[in-house]
Amino acid sequence: MTPEKRPAFESPAVLAEPVTPPAAMRRPTATTFGALLVVLRVIAGIVWLIALALQWDDVLQEGEVAVDLPPSEAGSVDALLLLIVVVGAIVLVIELALAVAVYFGSNAARLTVMIFATLSITISAIDYFGEDAEITLRTTLVTLALDILVLLALSSRAARAYARRPRPRHPRCR
Amino acid sequence: MGEVGAAASGAGAEPARQRRFSINALLDGFFFVYAGIAAVWLAWLVFTESFTFGWWGIAFFVVFWLVLAYLVLPRLHRILTAIYVPDYFIGRARTSDGLLGDPVNLAFDGGEAQVHAAMRAGAWTRADDISLASSWRIVTSTVTRRSYDEAPVSPLFLFGRQQDFAYQQEVEGNPARRHHVRFWRTPDDWLLPGGRRVDWLAAGTFDRAVGFSLFTLQVTHKIDADIDVERDHIASTVLGANPTARLDVLRDFSTGYHSRNGGGDTIRTDGDLPVLDVSAVPIGTIETDGASVTDAASVTDAASKTDAASKTDAAELAP
Repeated sequence: MTPEKRPAFESPAVLAEPVTPPAAMRRPTATTFGALLVVLRVIAGIVWLIALALQWDDVLQEGEVAVDLPPSEAGSVDALLLLIVVVGAIVLVIELALAVAVYFGSNAARLTVMIFATLSITISAIDYFGEDAEITLRTTLVTLALDILVLLALSSRAARAYARRPRPRHPRCR
Repeated sequence: MGEVGAAASGAGAEPARQRRFSINALLDGFFFVYAGIAAVWLAWLVFTESFTFGWWGIAFFVVFWLVLAYLVLPRLHRILTAIYVPDYFIGRARTSDGLLGDPVNLAFDGGEAQVHAAMRAGAWTRADDISLASSWRIVTSTVTRRSYDEAPVSPLFLFGRQQDFAYQQEVEGNPARRHHVRFWRTPDDWLLPGGRRVDWLAAGTFDRAVGFSLFTLQVTHKIDADIDVERDHIASTVLGANPTARLDVLRDFSTGYHSRNGGGDTIRTDGDLPVLDVSAVPIGTIETDGASVTDAASVTDAASKTDAASKTDAAELAP
């Protein structure tokens, strides 16, 4: 057996190596925390939707929503609000379901949540660094912070190991 | 040697299909690094925001410190140490962030039950595992300055595994000061550098105060620099209480290159490694209290067949 010369540094590929957790792993704090943060994110979304509905007239006048319709057609503008609220509500319900799935250790849900958090963070970053949009507490710091914390919690080794722990074939005790 | 450790610790799990890389694992690696970078940005945002909030800015500074110390720096250390800290035995435990932690300065021969018996006879208390309840009890006992002599110790890693168990002695009922020693079972057929076989490696240090870690800025115990005093204290208490225990010292096992532990505290050592042979210690002295059901099981196992028992123990204890 000829010993191989070790490189002067470890391969960064260890960060991407599969983990082999024991089957009887207890739910780590990171997973619980991550699921809780997603729920908080849902609550933030509900607050945002309510605020949007209450300030709908102001939003239209400030032109923050690109509405092609003349203001006289009030009916279709209200329909737009209804559409936003309904779509937003559906997204939030899906997010809530993902939070529950993450809590019970679903890896697909964990990856989905992380993909959307990454997209959200990237869009915020492009806004912030590209167009000088101010990120403050009053606007989006809370949601951005929640996204980053979700990503940190769910990408941690403990959360990864818990979502990838070997389980019996029957989803009897998931 | 690191591969040996990894193989041994993975041996307890089911032989799942093993590919070196998968798309999922790469995705995980990407998210791990991306979250670290995003956290740096978050810390910066919180930091700059703190100037715009007047007196509330002080609260924001606290949040900034929390984000930096408990989220950003650990993640960055985790990423960077994965690359620059060698992943084989160098006589040092590693912290959960991958930093070099306490030096390995003791070794034991004997089964798990014998080690437990020898430590208890030497007036050492087994540390609780870290849980929500024990963490809360640390906070309350620190604030009220009440004694908590089974306080858990922070996890340190050797052979890629957290310590199997830890023992401690409280000093003057003060939770900030304590003797403590962590134990790792060595992988089967694993030899120390130099060729000596030992069953357990241990790292003993004395917590002298509570302070800030130099590398992560977290609140942590500061250890006494003269770790040889603690090492000799552990050895003498075990030998004094167990007439059947034998001592063998590997002179100059490590040299003076040990300089700092994971919290940035300085370390001085003469480099000797005492090997305590406790395999002849009678195990009947263990009292089976509620917390040590596994101990009781391993006692009966060990009594019947020591080798087989120690292997099953290793499989059970692998995290």
